[in-house]
Amino acid sequence: MKKSIYVIAFVFGLTSWSLQASVDIQTWTTSKGTKVLFVEAPELPMIDIELKFDAGSARDNRQPGLASFTANMIGTQTAQLTEQAIADGFNDLGAQFGGDVNRDAASFSLRSLTRADLLNPALDLFEQVINQAAFSETIFQRDRQRLIQGLQQAEEQPARVAQRAFWQGLYGEHAYAHPVSGTVESVDSLNIKDLEAFKQRYYVAQNAQIAMVGAITRQQAEKLAEQLTAAMPKGEKPAALAQPKPLTQAKNEAKNEPKTEVIDFQAAQTQYFAGQLAVERGHPDYYALFLGNHLLGGSGFASLLVEEVREKRGLVYSVYSYFAPMRVAGPWIVGLSTANSQAMQADEVVKQTLQGFMKDFDEQKLADIKSNLIGGWPLRMDSNSKILGYISMIGFYDLPLDYLDAFPRQIEQLSKAEVLAAWQRHINPDQLFTLMVGQPE
Amino acid sequence: MNLKLLTIGWMSWLVVGLVQAAEAPRLFEAQLDNGLQIVVKQDQRAPVVVHQMWYRVGANYEPQGVTGVSHMLEHMMFKGTETMEPGAFSRRVSQMGGRENAFTSSNFTAYFQIVGKQHLAEVMQMESDRMANLKLSEAQFQPERDVVIQERLWAVEDRPSSKLFEQFKATAFLSSPERNPVIGWMADIKNYQLADLQDWYDRWYAPNNATLVVVGDVDPHEVVELAKQTYGQYPARDIIQPRLQPEIQQQGMRRIELKDATPVPSIILGFHVPSLVTADSADEVYALSVLASVLDGDSGRLTQEMVREQQIASSIGTFYRANGRLGSQFFFSAQPQAGVDIEQLEAELIKQIERIKTEPMSQQALNRVLAQAEAQYVYNQDSVQAQAMSIGMMVSVGLPADTMETWVDNLRQVTPAQLQAVAKKYLQTDNMTVGILRPSGETNRRPTAKPDFGGRSH
Repeated sequence: MKKSIYVIAFVFGLTSWSLQASVDIQTWTTSKGTKVLFVEAPELPMIDIELKFDAGSARDNRQPGLASFTANMIGTQTAQLTEQAIADGFNDLGAQFGGDVNRDAASFSLRSLTRADLLNPALDLFEQVINQAAFSETIFQRDRQRLIQGLQQAEEQPARVAQRAFWQGLYGEHAYAHPVSGTVESVDSLNIKDLEAFKQRYYVAQNAQIAMVGAITRQQAEKLAEQLTAAMPKGEKPAALAQPKPLTQAKNEAKNEPKTEVIDFQAAQTQYFAGQLAVERGHPDYYALFLGNHLLGGSGFASLLVEEVREKRGLVYSVYSYFAPMRVAGPWIVGLSTANSQAMQADEVVKQTLQGFMKDFDEQKLADIKSNLIGGWPLRMDSNSKILGYISMIGFYDLPLDYLDAFPRQIEQLSKAEVLAAWQRHINPDQLFTLMVGQPE
Repeated sequence: MNLKLLTIGWMSWLVVGLVQAAEAPRLFEAQLDNGLQIVVKQDQRAPVVVHQMWYRVGANYEPQGVTGVSHMLEHMMFKGTETMEPGAFSRRVSQMGGRENAFTSSNFTAYFQIVGKQHLAEVMQMESDRMANLKLSEAQFQPERDVVIQERLWAVEDRPSSKLFEQFKATAFLSSPERNPVIGWMADIKNYQLADLQDWYDRWYAPNNATLVVVGDVDPHEVVELAKQTYGQYPARDIIQPRLQPEIQQQGMRRIELKDATPVPSIILGFHVPSLVTADSADEVYALSVLASVLDGDSGRLTQEMVREQQIASSIGTFYRANGRLGSQFFFSAQPQAGVDIEQLEAELIKQIERIKTEPMSQQALNRVLAQAEAQYVYNQDSVQAQAMSIGMMVSVGLPADTMETWVDNLRQVTPAQLQAVAKKYLQTDNMTVGILRPSGETNRRPTAKPDFGGRSH
């Protein structure tokens, strides 16, 4: 990490000071049109590389689980190598290969030492498993069974049932609604041709991004990015995702009450989620929403929800809230789990806390939470893997390159009135969707 | 960068000598007059420091009837001292922009803060305050016990695999307190008295039963100076170790089953093995560690044969932790593929275990484990918290602070013959505990959803 240290005087005349770490992000485009983000970090002889495609489950197009299963097949076979040879190849080099799929993206990562005799073959292998991936029918059949088994198991796990039902309830017909890994029925109906077509359409240079943090030079990084994309079809970007529609049509509109859904489920605790659609990445109100949420439920013991639900009443082990800004409007979610007998009480305390917060909150608490965010900013960037996460996000969502420096400055300038106004614009407690999985009383 | 894929043997040979190439990290060790052990590691990559206080007490120190009391006390440590209000420590760390928490295991209880380096003195002052001046009250205790009850419901009661593991441990260990669940049995949690917590605090929270670990952009001598000014003001106390409760010799297989509403069965096999603390010869520990890595993971023989070739397991893994204060278990865990019954999976797994004894592992497989361990050692340095953890968890069971610094060198001495030897000695059915999670045939899902009752929520 190249870091310049400077100091920001803290607003409100407090005596706190903040060390702000600045990350030098370099960016360019490969000859195939792939966006690259790079941070040179010479301290440790290692590198983290992430190759990301706009190929998350939002691209499933009526075949839930397609994006996830496709990504799962990467690394199982290539034109030359078997599954075992690929696994042995990475492990022999001490390299770590991984994959991850969410609603917006499919990402593949490589962590390697930077000594040339380890990094070069690891890169070759990484490039090969993606660009020369071959999908075998035997492995497809085997892994489909494994995926279905996992999905069947999920149907008996209250936390996963709740997670799935909540997104479904919140997003209705939108591409974000269905579970990333699909359902038993949808995965069962996939075939290998679907996966191959998906890969061909989305795993292309124009739809890719490379993020790198590690002990290599800019020149090496440029070569590396070219190497990863040289054999990749150029392709094109997919169409923009549709905007989701907010849940204005609550089920029990007649009674003019917010939508609450209960899934009757045998378990010791009720799994509870409440929330609504909020903002996309890059929305100008995100700073104010984030700051407010940090106070409401985003900062552990410093947050109002933990104080009210856990510390004062002992109702839960964990309660939290967060915004998940995505390509298009992501959700704002409150989550907790509590004994069935306390679920209605917990729901009431959550909603009262939210309403109270949206009316007014203590200036001192705002000052403290700002101090937490600004003072803690360097901690968010104290490792290569954290920096990789940030630059990948900045690139993928087209955020400004100075985002990491601008964020604490924006936070610093926000007033209570601005925070409250942003929350009034985006969060309507009367329009919350509430889900309980269990036997709430 | 046009190298063709190299042959595996050559690549493995190349990675030897890696650790020497990486910058050698330095540990600084000291001890205060009151017995507090101090370990400092400099890491100047960011203006950040992790401060950890480790107490040598955990679930395997606990007598029957108060299991989980170490963990309950950990929660109460956030509830104020003679001079600080409940929650004030956390609020102060939050204002600093820091992160803090605590964790309890079988072997230790630890508290940590990650803060900008300019705040180190203040967190040391507050942490040392609660080492000596904790204020326990009924008013703070009762709601916090409810929190721990909810924690147990969340972590164990609604998770069949956690429940199986808890009961498995209590079966593998009969006479040793290693059987205790870290969070405690539910009845014990409900029966704690405030006096239990006060006794536990008075008995174990003293500088001579603790280790301070600091990693980050700090000067070790300054850390020791700060420690003298803070922790140094509290005197050493007599620490009375628990009476020895050794595990009885196992003489035959033990089995346990748990039936629950799960569609897929699973199995755990465990064998009593030594740890670095209990072993007569540390070589056996390194051999067991290499064996676990050779068998585990996507290159491992078990995945290769049972998942890919025979297709009888949908997942399989091995696990061994080398730092148990009261010994350890060598674990295998697996789930069968759809249509394979759990007895068949168990029989195949036993066959694989027998093969370890008769067919030596290839040197290539050992080299692969070394390559991964050497790289992992470097990757670990990407996180100050991970570096501090790997020091504290060793020192807290009485092992040297640099145990992980010499770890890879020790693994490198292991031979295929040693793997066979430890397998023959320990992986015997008379030394085995089997835990099976079996589908009860029931479902947690209810046939029809209740009608919407949104009206009740307000």
